[in-house]
Amino acid sequence: MSRLLIILWCLMCAVPAVAQDADAPIQQVMQAHAAEIAKASRRTIQPAIDALTDSGLPAAEIVLERWQAKEMWQDEATGLFVFAEEIDRDTIRIFDVSGPDIGEVSDEGYKQLKPNSGVRGLIAAALVKFQLTNDSPAIRRVALDAIARDPNESHLPALRDVIPAERSANLAAQMTRLERLLTISFGASEEEQIEAIAHFEGDLGVDVRGALNPLVKTTIKAAETVPEDPALVRALRPGTDALSKSDAYALLVADDLAPPLIPADAVRQTLIANIEDGKVAGVQVASLSTVQARNAAFATLVAEGRANPAATEQEIDDRLDAYQFFELYTGAPAVAIAAQSVLSGIETKVALNQTADLALDAISLASIYFLAAIGLAITFGVMGVINMAHGEFIMMGAYTGYVVQLFIPDHTLSILLAIPLAFMVTFAAGVAMERLVIRWLYHRPLETLLATFGVSIALQQLAKNIFGTQARPLTAPGWLDGSLVINDIVAISYIRIAILILALIFLAVFLIVMNRTRLGLEVRAVTQNPRMAASMGINPDRINMLTFGFGSGIAGIAGVAIGLYAKVTSEMGADYIVQSFMTVVVGGVGNIWGTLLGAAMVGTLQKVIEWLNPSNTLAAQTYMILFIILFIQFRPRGIIALKGRAAEA
Amino acid sequence: MTHTSSFDQKYRGVPGALAPRSRPFIQRHPSVMIFIACLALFTLVVTVLSEGFGVGLISTSFVKTLGKTLCLCLVALAMDVVWGYCGILSLGHMAFFGIGGYAIGMWLMYARTELIVVQSLAAAPLPPTPEEISQGIATQIFGVVGASEFPPIWAFAHSLPLQLAAVVLVPGLLALVFGWLAFRARVTGVYLSILTQAMTLALALYLFQNDSGLRGNNGLSGLQNLPGQADTPQSTISIWFFWAAALALGLGYIFCAWMVSGKFGSVIRAIRDDEARVRFLGYSVEAYKLTVFTVTAVIAGIAGALYYPQAGIINPAEIAPIASIYLAVWVAIGGRGRLYGAVIGAAFVSLLSTWFTGGQAPDINLGVYTIQWVNWWTVLLGLSFVVVTLLAPKGIGGLFDLIGKGRKS
Repeated sequence: MSRLLIILWCLMCAVPAVAQDADAPIQQVMQAHAAEIAKASRRTIQPAIDALTDSGLPAAEIVLERWQAKEMWQDEATGLFVFAEEIDRDTIRIFDVSGPDIGEVSDEGYKQLKPNSGVRGLIAAALVKFQLTNDSPAIRRVALDAIARDPNESHLPALRDVIPAERSANLAAQMTRLERLLTISFGASEEEQIEAIAHFEGDLGVDVRGALNPLVKTTIKAAETVPEDPALVRALRPGTDALSKSDAYALLVADDLAPPLIPADAVRQTLIANIEDGKVAGVQVASLSTVQARNAAFATLVAEGRANPAATEQEIDDRLDAYQFFELYTGAPAVAIAAQSVLSGIETKVALNQTADLALDAISLASIYFLAAIGLAITFGVMGVINMAHGEFIMMGAYTGYVVQLFIPDHTLSILLAIPLAFMVTFAAGVAMERLVIRWLYHRPLETLLATFGVSIALQQLAKNIFGTQARPLTAPGWLDGSLVINDIVAISYIRIAILILALIFLAVFLIVMNRTRLGLEVRAVTQNPRMAASMGINPDRINMLTFGFGSGIAGIAGVAIGLYAKVTSEMGADYIVQSFMTVVVGGVGNIWGTLLGAAMVGTLQKVIEWLNPSNTLAAQTYMILFIILFIQFRPRGIIALKGRAAEA
Repeated sequence: MTHTSSFDQKYRGVPGALAPRSRPFIQRHPSVMIFIACLALFTLVVTVLSEGFGVGLISTSFVKTLGKTLCLCLVALAMDVVWGYCGILSLGHMAFFGIGGYAIGMWLMYARTELIVVQSLAAAPLPPTPEEISQGIATQIFGVVGASEFPPIWAFAHSLPLQLAAVVLVPGLLALVFGWLAFRARVTGVYLSILTQAMTLALALYLFQNDSGLRGNNGLSGLQNLPGQADTPQSTISIWFFWAAALALGLGYIFCAWMVSGKFGSVIRAIRDDEARVRFLGYSVEAYKLTVFTVTAVIAGIAGALYYPQAGIINPAEIAPIASIYLAVWVAIGGRGRLYGAVIGAAFVSLLSTWFTGGQAPDINLGVYTIQWVNWWTVLLGLSFVVVTLLAPKGIGGLFDLIGKGRKS
């Protein structure tokens, strides 16, 4: 019995060895480069990969894929390559490279090939050529994207081969563009490169600038005369922005045209090295506590020949004057000049587009400020009630949205529900506040301001106690993800567009309510003269309550919108309150168009200042507030000032 | 009364004429006397009970809290003069307070770092040059914001007299320029409040930047250590500052009481009540307002300069608009329009805040929910502020009127 088992075991072991097809053409190709493949290194592996891709065998693609995925093993005895899948720690299932399943074996005697990331990169580049001819357009597109991300010289002929055969017009256009782009970098002749460069005149793509920029690299050289070189860009003078004196001198030192400078610290080092009996060159160490004393002692050392003299300013200048400095293109001059001229054209166009992008950003920010301020335009602008808790109403609206999303996972539905709910919550809060606090304080604006501050402090802390201090997410529906991309420079996210549209809707609602409805008429009457309005049968109390609730409710909806764009925190209202008041005050109290203009001005201003000093949004806000303080000097009543009696109220 | 001035002879008996000036200021205002006596007694009691100079019943940290409270009372006084008496609801006085703190903090930090740097460079083979010392200090101070050079605003940080001058001059000048711009444009009422709040926000945002030259949101720290007093225990230093704060509050009280009495006081109260009428009567309303705004800003700066060495650290968050709002809350709760009201309000509310937010107040267990005062104190403060504004505009100080009335009847 045991003998039978041994025979069986021998048979099982023997079968795989027999089943490996050592004569398969693909195995032959691989065996020809067995050593390189087994010990793959980025520097030596290219011939092996080329041999596989050039073999024209259909199996080559699979070999490359599985090799890249670390699924290729080598039989240590025969040196043949197989594919293998690990079953468990000791067992693998192996396949012949030409396809057939061989069976499960112990992994003893097989060695897994683990190409490093450099080698895998080269394999991926080779695989691209197969993918470009794949039947599926999706895979061809993936391959194109892969080339665009990491182009290399071998892709150029591959692309040229496939373009005529490409059936999809869209893909063909993409391929042609990529081929032109690769020609810029890897074109065989300068003429070919220049022709490709000219193709991209005025193209805004980031990839174009990425391909052109290396071509116009320059280097600065020094010589006694400026040479007649076609690569010459311009002559430079030391001490200008383009070339500082110290850089120029360093250049001379690097070319052995000048002796190196003695660093500032060297004087100190030399002095320390020459301390003898508490003295340096006869000077007491304790008295070397000024730069002058140190320089004097150093000069003595130099005079005694114990130190090298440092170059004086005059010597440095003389040396710099003796040489001419100039900038040269590092690459081929003709190509560089062509690239430079196309780049200049592109840069002009980029600048124009950046301005457009900045304008879009400014409009978007303005719409956010407008949204935050429109509720205030009602309570403060129309009613003259200063509500410092307005920001907290915005926060309340945003938290309402957050709570709705906790219960309704569908984002579209939850946002659609959150908007009316936020309105209702903040409307109720506004009405409650008007009834309990504000109506006792009409005509005492400073005290209204104080009391609403109290409410604001309490509400903010209340929100902290309920929701915690960390930011809560308010997720926009999927269809608001992403951006409207006009080109590589001008883009605007859909959320910002939605906020802009919402702001416009609010503007329309405000205008309709105030000018076309009974409520608006009564509101205007009560604001102008409450006693006269009361004698006409209008209940001023009721109107005040409703108006305040309306303004607060709009703040709630604004909160939902702002929450989508920024995080929901208990302090989000406080972040907007000063800007909101500024918007209303700058625009002119009591006029919605003024608020619109105010928001546009504040938003544009902030974006422009940010653009001037992009690293620092805090500084932008500081300067903007300072500007507004100054602006109020010149138009104390805002851009659109009410005239006549209304202004006195 | 044997001697009367020509002024009194000329206007005696004229309706609305000023009170006779012959009696000393203190006698005409007994409340000032009472306040100073209370303050002196309080200072004496705290000194006797302190760790540094007395029996040690009051801990050093509590002495510091009391000293800080006195500084807050001083800035509340300033707020009361500008708001309670002149009707300008400034939401920027805590910014002036912070500027005072920064001004003194720059010297404290510079001088202390200088000692450390000189000490560490003493071991070097060559004696340090002034440039090396300055470089060393700059690296120490600005290492946290990735700089190693002194920004221009630190030009005078080495000199205590100059920085002390800055404590007075910087808030004063800022208030003067800002006030001149605002009052000249006739910005009044809530607009002025919002504008001062915007100024405060702008200043805080500016200081939050790392390249503002004042260490961004790290602020200035280690201010409780006086340069050259490394061997003096904090218990002693805290009493020194307590005395200084008490002295400043006492002098500030007398000064404010003097300012709001007499003709100047009458005019600013008239401005509060009807600005247009005062203007038509021929007074330069802007000049009066500007004077009050600037002088109170200086007082706030001095209060800040005494506060932050006791607090030990100052950062831009201290200047944020909310701090100035709290200042208004203190004055309103204490009772504006009377100086002792501001002091009582600031002391009462800020000590109560310390007690509640310090976690010392017992939590209230409601069964379903435990009220933790650390979280709920601010809610309570906000709501009580609303209630005070609505129902008791005179604040705590109003209680004194009730007592006075009771005694008369």
